Amino acid sequence: MSELRENEQKTLNALKNAGGKGTVEDVMREADLAHAAVMRAALSLETRGLIKVHESKRMRIYLNDEGKRYAIHGLPERTLANTLISLGGEASIDEVIEASNLSRQIATIALGWMIRKGWARIDKENRRLRIIGKPERGLDERVIETINKRGSVFLDELDRESVDIIKTLKRRRIIEVDEEITRELELTDEGWKLARTSIKLIEEVSQLTPEIIRSGRWKEIRIRRFNVEAPGPIIYPGKIHPAQEVIQEIREIFLEMGFTEIRGPIVETAFWNFDALFQPQDHPAREMMDTFYLTYPSMGDLPKEDIVRKVAKTHENGWTTGSTGWGYKWKREEAKRLILRTHTTAVTIKYLAEHKDPPLKVFSIDRVYRNEKVDYKHLAEFHQIEGIVMDRRVTLRDLMGILKEFYSKLGLKKVQFWPSYFPYTEPSAQSTVYIPKLKAWFELCGMGLFRPEVLRPLGIKHPVLAWGGGLERLIMLKLAVDDVRFLYKNDLGWIRRSPICQ
Amino acid sequence: MPVITIDRDRFCRFIGRRVSIEEMTKWLPWLGLDIEEIGDNYVKVEYNPNRMDFSSQAGIARAFKGLLGWETGLPRYKAEDGEISLIVDPSVENVRPYIVCAVIRGINLDEEDVKELMEMQEDLHWGVGRDRRKSSIGVHDLDSVNPPFTYKAVPPDSISFIPLGKNEKMTLREILEEHEKGIAYKHLVNQSPLYPVIVDRDLNVLSFPPIINGELTRVTSSTRNLFIEVTGLDRSSVNKSLNILVTALHDMGGRIESVSVKYPNREEVTPNLTVKKMTLKTDYANRLLGLRLKEDEIIECLRKSRLDAEASGRGILEVSIPPYRIDILHMVDLVEEVAIGYGYYNFEPTIPQTVTVGSSHTASIISNKVRLIMIGLGFTEVMNFILTNEDIQYNRMRIKKERPIRLANPKSSEYSIVRDSILPCLMKNLSENKHESYPQNLFEVSDVIIIDEKAENRTRRELHVAAVTSHPTANFTEARSYVEALLRNLGIEDFTVKSTSHPSFIDGRAAEIRIEEKRIGIVGEIHPEVLNNFDLENPTGAFEINLEHLMERLSRKTLYSNR
Repeated sequence: MSELRENEQKTLNALKNAGGKGTVEDVMREADLAHAAVMRAALSLETRGLIKVHESKRMRIYLNDEGKRYAIHGLPERTLANTLISLGGEASIDEVIEASNLSRQIATIALGWMIRKGWARIDKENRRLRIIGKPERGLDERVIETINKRGSVFLDELDRESVDIIKTLKRRRIIEVDEEITRELELTDEGWKLARTSIKLIEEVSQLTPEIIRSGRWKEIRIRRFNVEAPGPIIYPGKIHPAQEVIQEIREIFLEMGFTEIRGPIVETAFWNFDALFQPQDHPAREMMDTFYLTYPSMGDLPKEDIVRKVAKTHENGWTTGSTGWGYKWKREEAKRLILRTHTTAVTIKYLAEHKDPPLKVFSIDRVYRNEKVDYKHLAEFHQIEGIVMDRRVTLRDLMGILKEFYSKLGLKKVQFWPSYFPYTEPSAQSTVYIPKLKAWFELCGMGLFRPEVLRPLGIKHPVLAWGGGLERLIMLKLAVDDVRFLYKNDLGWIRRSPICQ
Repeated sequence: MPVITIDRDRFCRFIGRRVSIEEMTKWLPWLGLDIEEIGDNYVKVEYNPNRMDFSSQAGIARAFKGLLGWETGLPRYKAEDGEISLIVDPSVENVRPYIVCAVIRGINLDEEDVKELMEMQEDLHWGVGRDRRKSSIGVHDLDSVNPPFTYKAVPPDSISFIPLGKNEKMTLREILEEHEKGIAYKHLVNQSPLYPVIVDRDLNVLSFPPIINGELTRVTSSTRNLFIEVTGLDRSSVNKSLNILVTALHDMGGRIESVSVKYPNREEVTPNLTVKKMTLKTDYANRLLGLRLKEDEIIECLRKSRLDAEASGRGILEVSIPPYRIDILHMVDLVEEVAIGYGYYNFEPTIPQTVTVGSSHTASIISNKVRLIMIGLGFTEVMNFILTNEDIQYNRMRIKKERPIRLANPKSSEYSIVRDSILPCLMKNLSENKHESYPQNLFEVSDVIIIDEKAENRTRRELHVAAVTSHPTANFTEARSYVEALLRNLGIEDFTVKSTSHPSFIDGRAAEIRIEEKRIGIVGEIHPEVLNNFDLENPTGAFEINLEHLMERLSRKTLYSNR
């Protein structure tokens, strides 16, 4: 047999002392326990066969407010009778009612009862009332007194005559009757055995304390059993943002593949963002509609004159790159304008201009900006993933191979490459990837080899492979988010409840 | 990106054989076209802005036939000598100086053709004309007017005509003020006192470029002969637009006829459909693509891309480029043509031999260490934009800021400036998560932008960490304990905490964090007015630290070598 809890022991003891049987209320009194505690103990004791719980429905009777008043002042017919006696045993009805201080309505009812009980008689002719002998105290008055004294009584505690009286009192709306379930606990043989032999009270605690541990008192007490299957309060751990998780995964892939992370300015001159990448100054992407220009500060500095001159010439007539150029007059002021970079390639190209020795493999995952109307597909600020390889002999096939490897590290094995167009790469390609989870092909990274018009003015002599794409697309695929705005809404509920591993 | 709908029946007519929708959707992407939509009998594709010759179904059909090997090599276009001339008056010099023209004869346009022609013009206006500035096109029913034509600039009220789609005559001024096209494009002419018009022998107006044509020369399905003029500010742009248009119309069944354009001091015969020549070195192509194609294989690839090429010496090809290919600027563009002709699907990916050692940027290393500590302290990371607005960044924080970094032209009113601290974003995060249980401990490690007049870009990007702790018993002391925990775990012991005052914090509950007398951050208990401004009810402790000063100290190299 498993051990008894403290309250179970107390309940068993109380029943033993009560002769083996008692109501829940009896046990509450005897053991000094709350109702719920006794009920819990009883339930547990019963399942172990130590007690039997008898349930019975009982009618509880108690006085309502009117009844309580009558218990103190007597029934109204008694009041009326006493008034009549004090008036000499005979008086007119009106006189009696007047002197009794009863309301006319109640007095009329009381008059009826007085007559019915045979306490007085009415002379109908002159409406006078005369007492008959001494009015005896009735059973109804005794019952009211008993109920009042005890607060309430059960119907089954009353004799048959009293039960009839109860019906009358109920009709007179002096008492209320409620149905009540009472539980009586009774020790079983097994329970008796246990109660007689072993009950010695052992203290039970729910929380261990340093004092209990240190003093060794834990040996004497019992540690309360918990319902270990019940749910506990929710705890949220401190956590990395779900989008940051993806950034870290991609960073790791680049690092594993031997790439070096680079980082550069967010506010950049149009020169590094556009001109150095051979985007003509009237290119649609450079318009205010698509690019965030700054009003303060609005103009930056151009790099070394040598670079500026070569870039300008390349735009105008191709310089010595072998290109026709764009055939327009390149404007210095346009290139000085400050913008929020539209791609991380602004950083890449600057880095390449300063690191011309092969081999070189760099990457970045960083913020970029487009002056777009924000909706479920577009953000004005988002992250671009970009990878760059420069070496003496690298090719379009190599670019495809690196990208294939990159995707394969994300678990995406099926990749296709299509012709595409970017202003600063040639040949260019677009990659689509099969996402097994969604059973669909998705466009992810664009790619290409930097154009000679980009490389030559900066003195870069070797082919440069480049690819890039939006991080958010990848995050949305991974986290099954279909509104890009949600990613940076910082909904704490979402962050708290998004598993770190998913 | 421009989009064009390819109707299968029309497409088959241009190709000269039946192809299924499946074949179309299979092969069109290998030309660089993105499938947007597939219908019962059509395919909608998006094309790249370098290939403006894909603005017509005829143009796509040319490339399609080449890719599949059904018709390869250079398509030949020749303009027959025509009688028609156009006189350029010197008055246009200062408003819209260039014009080129062509005549198309014997064309049979149905309703669909007319519609396609309109759409093609719009695409060319966008892609080549830079929204009609560099060039804009007018296509006219030749038989409703009488050559010779004159291109001249006239005073705004001196001439009136019925513009396309209207019933009444309007002066040029009225068109700019009232006509929807006039309102949309008036900025292209109203800087000049005189406006450009093209008129015929009898002074009938053909068009008011680049705004609108006249109703008189409207092209319908009964039009047989076309007069085409392209005007603009850019000489090469007008020629490109005209060439793409006339070659497409040729493929649609018309005969091209030249027009003599008479400038005051010279005469040009347009269109100029000369085939452009460019050399391609075969080893250059092979080196970039990673292939080992022989000369004749490369020639075959180029022919599939509708170019011609012949060997002209060791490893050198002379490539002929049709007049509609306006995107070939450099030999490298021919390399891509080889790749497309070879078929992107035929490329076997390879892994380069490039051996390098990867490394993280110090900013990332430090950010991640900070993240680790903050998470250990029970904080949750948020990620906010650096784009924000003055209300959140300053007003609600009780900060007066004279000149924030400001955007010129944001499309969204939510963004007007760039943040110079992270904390206001975290306050916004708290105010948007009031329904979540407390305590709420948030942090962000990320960028802010600070003005730096000495820098090339006038600004400096700084890495910061900021955190807030918000719950019924939050206060300064707790926030300070968190700062100390963070700094000490970053190995920084030599910081001092000095009392300060800051409008966002309660007076007497704000302090600066300093290292070597340099202020690197702030810690404090948020002012109740700020809490009210963000509609918050819980006391909130906060800090923000600039990590740039710690970057050098915390870089991996320093940690391992200079201890």
